[in-house]
Amino acid sequence: MASLRTTSRLIAASRPMFRPAFARTYATVEPTPSKQPKMKTFKVYRWNPDQPSEKPTMQSYELDLNKTGPMMLDALIRIKNELDPTLTFRRSCREGICGSCAMNIDGVNTLACLCRIPTETKAESRIYPLPHTYVVKDLVPDLTHFYKQYKSIKPYLQRDTPTEDGLEFRQSPEDRKKLDGLYECILCACCSTSCPSYWWNSEEYLGPAILLQSFRWLADSRDEKTLERKAALDNSMSVYRCHTILNCTRTCPKGLNPGRAIAEIKKMLAV
Amino acid sequence: MASFARSALLRQTLAPRGTFLQKNVGVSQVVAFHASAKKQILPPLPQTIQGTMNDPAPIPETHPSEGSYHWSFERLVSVGLVPLTIAPFAAGSLNPVMDAILCSLLVAHSHIGFQAAIVDYFPPARVPKFRTFCNWLLRAFTLTTAVGLYEFETNDVGVTEALRRIWTA
Repeated sequence: MASLRTTSRLIAASRPMFRPAFARTYATVEPTPSKQPKMKTFKVYRWNPDQPSEKPTMQSYELDLNKTGPMMLDALIRIKNELDPTLTFRRSCREGICGSCAMNIDGVNTLACLCRIPTETKAESRIYPLPHTYVVKDLVPDLTHFYKQYKSIKPYLQRDTPTEDGLEFRQSPEDRKKLDGLYECILCACCSTSCPSYWWNSEEYLGPAILLQSFRWLADSRDEKTLERKAALDNSMSVYRCHTILNCTRTCPKGLNPGRAIAEIKKMLAV
Repeated sequence: MASFARSALLRQTLAPRGTFLQKNVGVSQVVAFHASAKKQILPPLPQTIQGTMNDPAPIPETHPSEGSYHWSFERLVSVGLVPLTIAPFAAGSLNPVMDAILCSLLVAHSHIGFQAAIVDYFPPARVPKFRTFCNWLLRAFTLTTAVGLYEFETNDVGVTEALRRIWTA
């Protein structure tokens, strides 16, 4: 089947004018008009832990955009497949659900799979790992501390009293609505690593992503440990290093609003 | 005369080139400055992970006077400053009590602002001594400002009157 398709494509490409319309079958492909190659340069941050004495460098790769998928992740996968198999990056779902491919593309933290390649071929695209992270290799940042902070806010339902009927903990549609815009977070760390306050004080400041999740559990009507959760945040570092810079809201590839969640936490703590 | 003209001509023809060279020198100097600036302020330390990978990050102690109370007070002061700054000029009256409140809120507001900068940029884990020094320096400056404003209010015309005079001068 595959060979059939290739041959038909070859014929179609060589003599598109003389191919009769009635001869089209399943196996044929719409003849692609021969396009000018659209070569675009991608500059990618490279650092190899096996050569720790060598400084990180920017490596250039040229790709024909006509043969590449529309997204940055397609370009990276093509570079890894065809140009340089040593290029290292995380990816999994390729549709913005897993949060693995978070990186800094053209100066903005985003998911490579949700970021379109700019069609402007004169300008090069620059790809870096998430800023102010410890780099494991190339585009792979170390998110250990980020996950440890996530664990510290106890991101699960805490409740002692069982329900009357012994079934699941129910919630009114209004209470459920309060969680919209909070539960969608995929913890890609784009927002936290775009926050200057998190850059300076990531040891103690929780950062926008974790605070959004913190608010997700504070806002949950079924959770009974709201006071404990608030007490854990009530200190100078955990929340109040947020200076409403709002890089988090601007960069979120899922279109969430961590800045608003932090403001809500501050309001909850103040009253 | 001829030599004078020639030198002027020379100067003219050479002038753009000279400035160009000078510009280049400037650029290269700047580049050299940036390339040689290896001494960073508080460069990041090698990565350390407290406990095992699966331990949660430590939860700090509850401290409302540095957390929620501090934040509420800060916001109240900031919000209060807005009408207090406008009122004396809008009402056209100069009340020494209002002046005193305005001055004290101003001092508190700037103290809190600078304190936030110290907390942000001088982590006690990295620079404990310098952090303490900065905190005491800030307290000294705040006290000096408060004393100065008190003197200005009692022995001179006061803040609002001084501002009015500068405005109408």
